[in-house]
Amino acid sequence: MKRVQHMIRRLWLVGLVCGLTAASPTWAGEKIYIVTSLPDLADLARQIGGDAVTAEALATGVENHHAVPIKPSMVVKLNRADLVILMGMEYEHAFLPALLGEARNPKILKGSPGYIDCSVHVTPKEVPENLSRVEGDVHPLGSPHFNLDPEGGRAIAQAIYEGLVLNYPALKPKFEANYNAFLAKLDEKEKEWAVLARPLKGLKFVSYHRAWAYFADSFGMISVGEIELKPGIEPTATHIVDLLGQMKAVGVKVVFREPEYPETVPDQIAAQVGGVVVKMPLMAGGVPEVKTWFELIEYDIRAVLKAAQEAGVIGKV
Amino acid sequence: MRMQPKLRVLSGCLILAFGIGGGVLGVLAQESGGTGTSEVETLKKQMAQMEEQLRQLRRQVEQMEGKKGEQKEGPSAVAPPPEKPPAVADEQRMKRLEEKVDAALAGTKKVFPSMENPAIGLIVDTSAGYKSHAQTFNYGQPGTRDAGAGFNNDRPAGGDFDLRAGELMISSQVDPFTRAYGVLAGSADPTNNNQATISVEEANIITTRLPYNLTLRGGRYFADFGTLSRQHDHDLPFVDRPPSLDAFVGGEGQTDGVELSWLAPTSTFLRFSAGVGDKFGEDFGSPPNNVTNLTGRPLKGMTYFGKVQSYFDINDNNNFEYGFSIADSPKFTDVCNCGEFERQLLDVDFKYRWYPLATGLYQSFTVAGELLYDHGNEDPVNGGPRLNALGQPARQGAWGGYTYAEARLNRQWRAGFRFDYYQLPSEPELVTNPFTGLPASTLNASGNRTANRTYSPYLTFFASEFQRVRLQYNHYTDGNANNADEFFLQWTVVLGSHSHGFTDRE
Repeated sequence: MKRVQHMIRRLWLVGLVCGLTAASPTWAGEKIYIVTSLPDLADLARQIGGDAVTAEALATGVENHHAVPIKPSMVVKLNRADLVILMGMEYEHAFLPALLGEARNPKILKGSPGYIDCSVHVTPKEVPENLSRVEGDVHPLGSPHFNLDPEGGRAIAQAIYEGLVLNYPALKPKFEANYNAFLAKLDEKEKEWAVLARPLKGLKFVSYHRAWAYFADSFGMISVGEIELKPGIEPTATHIVDLLGQMKAVGVKVVFREPEYPETVPDQIAAQVGGVVVKMPLMAGGVPEVKTWFELIEYDIRAVLKAAQEAGVIGKV
Repeated sequence: MRMQPKLRVLSGCLILAFGIGGGVLGVLAQESGGTGTSEVETLKKQMAQMEEQLRQLRRQVEQMEGKKGEQKEGPSAVAPPPEKPPAVADEQRMKRLEEKVDAALAGTKKVFPSMENPAIGLIVDTSAGYKSHAQTFNYGQPGTRDAGAGFNNDRPAGGDFDLRAGELMISSQVDPFTRAYGVLAGSADPTNNNQATISVEEANIITTRLPYNLTLRGGRYFADFGTLSRQHDHDLPFVDRPPSLDAFVGGEGQTDGVELSWLAPTSTFLRFSAGVGDKFGEDFGSPPNNVTNLTGRPLKGMTYFGKVQSYFDINDNNNFEYGFSIADSPKFTDVCNCGEFERQLLDVDFKYRWYPLATGLYQSFTVAGELLYDHGNEDPVNGGPRLNALGQPARQGAWGGYTYAEARLNRQWRAGFRFDYYQLPSEPELVTNPFTGLPASTLNASGNRTANRTYSPYLTFFASEFQRVRLQYNHYTDGNANNADEFFLQWTVVLGSHSHGFTDRE
């Protein structure tokens, strides 16, 4: 018995020493430490927060947003965060609620001022009529992929700005200046994108996952369907046949493949219709050359343009 | 003429706004108990803003009408009013406002009680199985549970359909300080014609706002011990609970008690927990039946828990976590009320995971396991003291544990293999020397403790995130030519609220 008790004491000591001799804390010191769900939000938080904030994202951008792995190391980040910024509309349902429940940080719990939900100013699209799981893993509040829309970026920035001011009113002049600078840049970029994306008006496409309502509406494109049978459900052979029929009937030649989904089926579908597969990241970091939100929108527009040209559905621009 | 289209637009919008506003407020009044108040407040603000904007537009129109009338009466010394913004811009603004109201209305019509208060889900976990006749069905029979046929013997041999669990899970935030959840489980009771026995598997309260990174939990819960003892049967990576855990803990690690956990303020994840409960699982600590008005349960008769857990990222795609746990019952009354005994259970758990971030939905690999050491002087199955080879009461230890490896082949298919091993905690008493007829340890007979081993390949198919089918084969051997084979086909579904908890993470 004494031997066992001695062993137990040793084990506890080992654990305690391991923990306390771990690397020293890496919190940001005086800066406001922001943890975001997506890299896009971290980028926008830095743009609006400026040098008053340091922001990092839990996801790197390459993950499937429904399968961002829950890691205990994320708990540590959230435990130290001053603010958490998320997309909302159940975008992060697969990982963030569990992490917030374990993080022991009341400042950033839902309902607290430090919990910044970027969907508050978004007019949702694709709000489901039927909430049954017959429709797959639906988003009950509508599509949460509004980061793929210039106006979505505006809504996100507004939510971040308001959240920063609410929590740090003394820094309002700084945040306001950065926010206005962001809006000015966005206004300019929107005009550029509108011109750039003009040839895409009326372009029909299919995607692997249902995520492109905001992007398509913004630039006048038309989604004909998805490769997934339903959101979150892999395609069946019958569904692929039906999809091919639809694509041929209306002349769809462009297939969006989000990088986290496999290549095989999209490649086969594109080959069947004489079309082109285009890699379309859903978040910043989804491909190496996209590091910011502005780059994400620009990349996606140009990628579709290139694919549409290759497929012969638009002329060279 | 220029005013008339504006008046038509304005009148129509006024009717629309007040009509919608009344309707929305009516819907809000009905829905106020169901959906969150923040959405309601947002809607009200938007409606108020709309109405104010319409009022301003109306004033402008009236002003312009008045000025137009003055102009008709004759030339005036007053300078003409400044140019109005074009009607098109106002119409566009009105259209955007209408779209927002429409979307807001559409949102309020959706009632999502599971989003707020409370979330309700149901798990249906069933299986079909076949167990070779080397296994005996001796559920609940003292003295025989480990006697040479010691695994999965709470179901009959031969063919079997089993409602493993119909579990209703309810959870909610209680107030700003606590959340709570309950799990009511019904499963087929083989001793009662397979009628469902309903029990409260878990019902506990958890604090959410304690300072210093503390969390307190109290009620009925699965103690923070090891890895799989904290998981419900339907959440296991395989069909059945590892036999070693069944032998040492007895099923899920349920306790009624209180637990305090602390997240250390370090850059590496380091978590400590300490708790106390009346028992642990089915086999550890004082059964409540043995606590009476006459006997009572001393503080030393409780079961005390402790755990330290850590984790580190090797890189983005590889990580490792491990923990040390203990359950200790210093002085408890045993199953047969034969006296007071002590027992400790030590556990080391580990999990290595390869999960490539970009393709983890389609490929990953996990190796995990637990190593347990049971030590005490009580026979956890028969009651009374553990006896050594000479038949004398003795403190004895037993080793056990499992390890498994699982590969995700694609989004829907996973394949794995589990190995389990354990020594019986109460072995010496159960083996009789054939020459003397006295209890003897197999140490004397064969020089080895009986090693109970189970080899289990399994294959899982996920039709969706909410439906799973699993095929598993168990080959059991205890080194005494008592072999048994078992096949399972498990079918599990999740209805309703679907929460990805931290403990349940893959």
